Amino acid sequence: MSEHATIGVFLILTLVFPIAAMIAAWLFRAKPEPSEEKLLPYECGVDTQGPSQMRFKINYFIYALVFLAFDVETIFLYPWAAKFQSLGLFAFVEMIIFIAILVVGLWYAWKEGALKWY
Amino acid sequence: MGYLLLAPEMLLTVLGIVVLALGLILPQRGKKVTGAVAMIGTLGILVVVFWQFGYEAEFFQGVYGIDAYSHFFRVLFLSAALIIFAMAGNYLHLFSERQSEWYSLMLFATLGMIIMASSGDLITLYVGMELMTISFYILSAYLLDDGRSAEAGLKYLILGALSSAVMLFGISLIYASSGSTVFAVVYQTLQAQVVTQPVLIAGIILLIAGFAFKIALVPFHMWAPDIYQGAPTPVTAYLAVGSKAAAFAALLRILVTALPAAHYNWTMLLAILAAVTIITGNLIALAQRNVKRLLAYSSIAQAGYILVGLAASNVYGFKGVLFYAMLYVFSNIGAFAVATLVETQSGSSDFDAFSGLAKRAPMLAAIMTICMLSLAGIPPMAGFAGKFYLFSGAIQSGYLWLAFIGLIMSMVSVYYYLNVSRLMYIGKSSEQSVPVPAMARVALLVCLVGTLIIGIYPQPLSQFAEIAIQVLY
Repeated sequence: MSEHATIGVFLILTLVFPIAAMIAAWLFRAKPEPSEEKLLPYECGVDTQGPSQMRFKINYFIYALVFLAFDVETIFLYPWAAKFQSLGLFAFVEMIIFIAILVVGLWYAWKEGALKWY
Repeated sequence: MGYLLLAPEMLLTVLGIVVLALGLILPQRGKKVTGAVAMIGTLGILVVVFWQFGYEAEFFQGVYGIDAYSHFFRVLFLSAALIIFAMAGNYLHLFSERQSEWYSLMLFATLGMIIMASSGDLITLYVGMELMTISFYILSAYLLDDGRSAEAGLKYLILGALSSAVMLFGISLIYASSGSTVFAVVYQTLQAQVVTQPVLIAGIILLIAGFAFKIALVPFHMWAPDIYQGAPTPVTAYLAVGSKAAAFAALLRILVTALPAAHYNWTMLLAILAAVTIITGNLIALAQRNVKRLLAYSSIAQAGYILVGLAASNVYGFKGVLFYAMLYVFSNIGAFAVATLVETQSGSSDFDAFSGLAKRAPMLAAIMTICMLSLAGIPPMAGFAGKFYLFSGAIQSGYLWLAFIGLIMSMVSVYYYLNVSRLMYIGKSSEQSVPVPAMARVALLVCLVGTLIIGIYPQPLSQFAEIAIQVLY
């Protein structure tokens, strides 16, 4: 039963916390009239120029996909490289196979023109 | 044998990559060759699997295991893929130049299914499942010019991601309460605990919910009809047969080897899910006017029948699950193969396209009728033997009411299955004949013979299933 209680208390806390935080902020903040400067997003990079509902080139998406494959590859390569001496030949062959599979993917993307910028 | 036992998985990976590469090297993107390479390769891998029968091995401290159970499902997935490759033939012209990728993705989906059925670890299982589902996201959106196909792909992507999240949450809770993701270790840790933690119960329920999405059990079935109707018909066939069987294979293995019913009794949960699924699937199927959509609802109902065996939770019921999954390959793909051929010829899968099919293509109409009768569970077709195992399993473990619901709804299902036959035999006919390529003819014959032989002489398959089940205990 006590375990149910723990989950229950946790659930109630998660519900109450954001509401409490907003109420506290509302209580303690200064309350000036909203101005144009005030209504801008807070610390969100450069201010937007022009309409924000524009279309992005689909190329970005394909580049991101290809990047992702090799980004994840790096995650595997680093620990393998750090432990290269103790892992030995078996791990070396495995890593070559892994990279070969990814290279086929890159080859496919290249042939399909994913790396061309239109 | 050692690592050689993993040869089918490795060969399948290589085959998928080779088929993809052939499309890049050859002129016309290997349109002529890739199909043959994929088919011969799959057949070769199937032979390797047969040759490995009887060998067992466990890899990486139980993370992956090859046993009779894996062999059973390897045979199931590879033969399903092979039959679909054979029957797809002419339909692939709709994909114009992108045929090598289609074969490659189908092979990778098969690989994912095989990994799901053999994994002994929750994370490996999840990786296999993602390999399967991500391939299916692309495959269901493969008809680029068809809005409905794109819709199917997007819907499957969003709901598939949601179900993956649910399942991962369940996995994380099971990991939290047992300290491991390997089935055998989870089992041992849970055996040592005196009381079942509520966290674990939540984990099991979320895990079952995640699988229920993949199997399309009723509260989680909303995606199935739209996707089955929108996706290219051969893909739908594989989605209905392969993806379901893979989810059942993995669920059965987890529930038996990691979370046995003696510890936390999930049988009632599954029994209720099965009852709701059978009733809803069959009743909604009554109102359908499109054969693909009808088969989608029928496959929801069929998943309910298979779940009855899982809920029974005894050897008889489990044997029924495997038996039914195998005969479902022949009966369901047979029905989908006919639908594919008719759709290739007429461009539609509405009831009107099937009207008077018996006069235009008597063989197709006959095979469709036999497959439908098998799905309805009429002897001497295979479906009868399968339902017999499933329902007697349920009765043995005291779920008499569940068996009754199954029986009554099977009778209801006869109406809509035979409705299609009625249309084919006494509906008005146009004069166009339906061309059947040679490979599709072979696939249809395999489905027909499989459906009839398993029904008349179920002994060998039943034994095969029983051997496969024994390793889990």
